[in-house]
Amino acid sequence: MILEHLKRAGIDLVASLPDQWLGELIRQCEEDPAITHVKLAREDDGVGICAGAFLGGRKAALICQNAGVLLSVNALGGIAYHHQIPFVIVAAHRGHFDDGQYYQQYKGRLCEPVLEAMGLPHYVIEGPEQLSLIVDGAREAFLKRMPVVLLLRKQALAKSK
Amino acid sequence: MKRLALAKLVRQVLKKDDLVVCGLGATEAAFKEAGPVGPTYFASDPMGLWPSIALGLALAQPKRRVTLLAGDGDLLMNLQVLATIASTPVKNLRIVVFHNRAYSSTGGQRLAGENRLSFATVAKGVGFDWAFESKGEDETRKRIDELLARPGPALLDVHLEDEPCPPVPPGQWSQVEERTLFMKALQNLTHEGG
Repeated sequence: MILEHLKRAGIDLVASLPDQWLGELIRQCEEDPAITHVKLAREDDGVGICAGAFLGGRKAALICQNAGVLLSVNALGGIAYHHQIPFVIVAAHRGHFDDGQYYQQYKGRLCEPVLEAMGLPHYVIEGPEQLSLIVDGAREAFLKRMPVVLLLRKQALAKSK
Repeated sequence: MKRLALAKLVRQVLKKDDLVVCGLGATEAAFKEAGPVGPTYFASDPMGLWPSIALGLALAQPKRRVTLLAGDGDLLMNLQVLATIASTPVKNLRIVVFHNRAYSSTGGQRLAGENRLSFATVAKGVGFDWAFESKGEDETRKRIDELLARPGPALLDVHLEDEPCPPVPPGQWSQVEERTLFMKALQNLTHEGG
């Protein structure tokens, strides 16, 4: 129901890069005729697309792994923060207790401290009962004129059907 | 052909309800000297992000023509974005590359790939139906007319002389202020029915 929350927030343009935990959500975005779905090859292009959409009066979201948030730091600072542009990032929060790979762990260790250092609002969504934070986060983004990052645990994404 | 000549050629075909996203540095200096026509969003750092911003804008404003004026160094930093653009049905987005094979505003250092680099070839390779290179004013004028006459996404890679770029001063408005002015200009166009 993540997509329903995004739609409730007025978002109808989604740029995504896949993650194992995001497969179902991305499939829903691709199949929903009310959503313009853009396939990224690199996550910071999604920052640009969301920013451009806001310039043109449309609300957008970037869906990616938290490693994509780390990759997008320069774009988030130079475009979204510097130009004061709001949008929502829905990121799979890899690399914590619910993850089973060595190579994911650095992402869990780095992502929140980096967002803290950037001064970007960010929230961890623990499970499906907290998904309404997506609508609240989108409103905060709009009012603050900056991106809000929602970091979703495996459990929150597992119930996206 | 010099940068300013290309900026003037582009300017001639633009209408006041066309939107432009303009790359930074030498491209910005040239288009500012030629004189913007309609709402124009001028880039800032980081380089490489402006094709995706132009894409987002074009998807949000499907009834308006959006033209991206891209510096070659800027575009080279982020070539994969062309694959993303080609995979969308963005008929209103067109790209003109200011291709002088050097990072002009940092002192003219040569680009990787230099003389063999073809953005038109890259664009075709990732799925652009229409992508051409051009040299000289006559050929470029003809290609710009074709570029605007057909649906996007489309890319024109214009080879330019290598010339120095004077430093671009910061200007009157900050990026946040420019952003507000751009959005207001776009809103005014909509209210005027343009």
